[in-house]
Amino acid sequence: MVALPARGRRLWPGLALSLLPLGFVGLLLLAPTLRLLREAWPADGLSWAALWAPWLDPYLRWRIAWSFAQAAITCLLSLLLGLPIAWVLARFSFAGRRLVLHALMLPFVVPTLVAAMGVLALLGPQGLLARWGGPDLQGTPWLLLYGNLFFNLCLVVRAGCEGLALVSATRVAAARTLGATPWRAFWRVEWPAVLPWLMPALCLVFLYCFAGFGLALVLGGPAYATAEVEIYTLVAYELQLQQAGVLALWMMVLTLLAALGYAALEKKRASPQRADAIARRLPAGVRQWLALLLALLTLGALCLAPLLAIVGRSLMASATDVAPLAAWLDLLQEGDTLLALGNTLRFTLAAVLLATCLGLCHALAARRSVWLRGLVFLPYVVSPVMLAFGFLLLYPAWTDSVFLLVGAYALLAYPFVAQALGAALDAIPPHLQDAARTLGASPWRAFWRVTWPLLRPALRRGMAFAAASAVGEFAVTLFLSRPEWATLTTLIYQHLGRPGAANLDAALQLSCVLMLLALGAFALLEGGRPREAGHA
Amino acid sequence: MLELRGIGKSWRPAKGPVRTLLHGLNLAVQPGQTVALLGPSGSGKSTLLRMLAGLEPMDSGSVWLDGQDISALPPERRRFALMFQDFALFPHLDVQDNVAFGLVEQRMARRQAREQAQAMLQRFGLQAFAHSKVWQLSGGEQQRVALARALITRPRVLLLDEPFSALDAELRLQLREEFRRHIAEQQMAVLWVTHDEAEARAMGVRGMRLQGGQLLPVW
Repeated sequence: MVALPARGRRLWPGLALSLLPLGFVGLLLLAPTLRLLREAWPADGLSWAALWAPWLDPYLRWRIAWSFAQAAITCLLSLLLGLPIAWVLARFSFAGRRLVLHALMLPFVVPTLVAAMGVLALLGPQGLLARWGGPDLQGTPWLLLYGNLFFNLCLVVRAGCEGLALVSATRVAAARTLGATPWRAFWRVEWPAVLPWLMPALCLVFLYCFAGFGLALVLGGPAYATAEVEIYTLVAYELQLQQAGVLALWMMVLTLLAALGYAALEKKRASPQRADAIARRLPAGVRQWLALLLALLTLGALCLAPLLAIVGRSLMASATDVAPLAAWLDLLQEGDTLLALGNTLRFTLAAVLLATCLGLCHALAARRSVWLRGLVFLPYVVSPVMLAFGFLLLYPAWTDSVFLLVGAYALLAYPFVAQALGAALDAIPPHLQDAARTLGASPWRAFWRVTWPLLRPALRRGMAFAAASAVGEFAVTLFLSRPEWATLTTLIYQHLGRPGAANLDAALQLSCVLMLLALGAFALLEGGRPREAGHA
Repeated sequence: MLELRGIGKSWRPAKGPVRTLLHGLNLAVQPGQTVALLGPSGSGKSTLLRMLAGLEPMDSGSVWLDGQDISALPPERRRFALMFQDFALFPHLDVQDNVAFGLVEQRMARRQAREQAQAMLQRFGLQAFAHSKVWQLSGGEQQRVALARALITRPRVLLLDEPFSALDAELRLQLREEFRRHIAEQQMAVLWVTHDEAEARAMGVRGMRLQGGQLLPVW
């Protein structure tokens, strides 16, 4: 029998599937990015002086340095606080542990603007802390650092928990019998094992904080705004496109370096092997119970308090003149609110559907292609601010097109779907498909009856994250904003920009609505997921 | 009768020279006969089974069944059952639906397929687990489910890829006898890959060794 061209046969469907995500990424990510880079290129040629301009200007240099510093400080704080919390969660068994682990997902679902509003409701002017006689932290760097920790502490805690769960009990026991104290056993056995998990997480934390926009815009204020906010200001208020382009170029280079660092660290991490994990036990003695209490209190103060503060502040917002319920009803019946709510839902639905198609094609195509796998990280490297800036430059005639807006939403959301599906595809043993074929199923039937049911939970998870991301999208919407396209995020920002306590109240109440919407969308998609099945 | 005529297969690693796994391999297995395929790891035993099942292309040669060349048939049309080392049970289906899978693929009504699966499970003493998820079963129970799933469609050839390797010694002995009984009932050609020569001898089957790409009779 003649040899079948198996490689070619497998390559073509993958190539065909990859066309949609590749075309999409090319048109909505690479082309605007290249256009942005061209903007940084002056008409009379790029000179070193023009390229180094942001570093020579003390104001811009401070913006870049502060962007770097706040990201680095957040990394350090996340590690110092997150590792002990992770250790407590990984080693101690206690009532409500599963709930705490589930709650660690919360910051991944909550929109950036809601988090920023939560921090303001807690620590800002007229915040709960100020009302109870505490200091008003507005105008200090602490607001932004607190917001960063809200988002990123859980990431480090989760990574730490995963790493610690894979530490070999036998190795720790061996270290103890060889004379190591519990602390030395941690330092010499557990720490090296957990480090490969912590480093990529810290790299991601750096990436998120360095390239973050929403938190820095609302919490940084004029004094502690980051370079991303500066790019927005240069474009939206000062029309300094060339200067914004050069700054964007530097930010992109630095972000790319962090992303490459993340990819290298992630690749170095060994595949998990659950051999003899250390058994969890009830805390013994006062010190261990205190450690558990302290860990839970820290988590609560950093990751739950801002959300509770939004609810609390929005309920007491108009308590002085109008009943809280009446204020809520008034707000929900306003034309602006209804328009923004409708737009948010419409854009989210369209973006999630598009992101699902893109993610599915990408994940299936990337099964045999390493470079296609890496491509899914691209939307993380280019920040939404730069993306939106690139749109304005490349597609000026299209900036009033709702398709471009929804396309941008989908571009930012589809990596969640692609990554979730990619991981699920990797986890399906190849023998299952083969078994179905030998039992009489055609390739399509084998996909429909075996692969697809096993992919569904991951698809729902990916869609849930995509929905949460689209509901809370802020940066691109702000750039491409038109009055008739106002979403909840832009409406909140509009209220924040207007003077008066009533506007702050409205912003807080809308934040509450947005938070419920994001959590609702997430729960709707993720909640019906069946129990995780182990593979036979 | 299952016939393998001049089957050849080479392995092309990303680096290094091409390695010949199977070289002009010939074998005939009568219905009701079991052939144990012995050989060291990497000798190509599992690859041979995958090629016979139609899951992997051959470089040369052909596979014949009852006088017909079936080399070009896709796996679903060969009616060969392959039992995998890790059983390859479907984790999203319960035990009954795993066993009924092949019947549904033969266009049998789902209800009827489930009734037949129930009957099959009864034969294997697994009726109590019909609605359990496969990952809730022990290794031995999973093994029986995999065999029930393979036999329910009455395959013409049964291909076994080290079916007992994941089990402990006592369970191996018990299941070996069960296997012998069920296989004898169905009168099909069986190719059984193992690297345990003592076990193959104990089963009292024909033994062949795959070495240097060739099949050599052992006993």
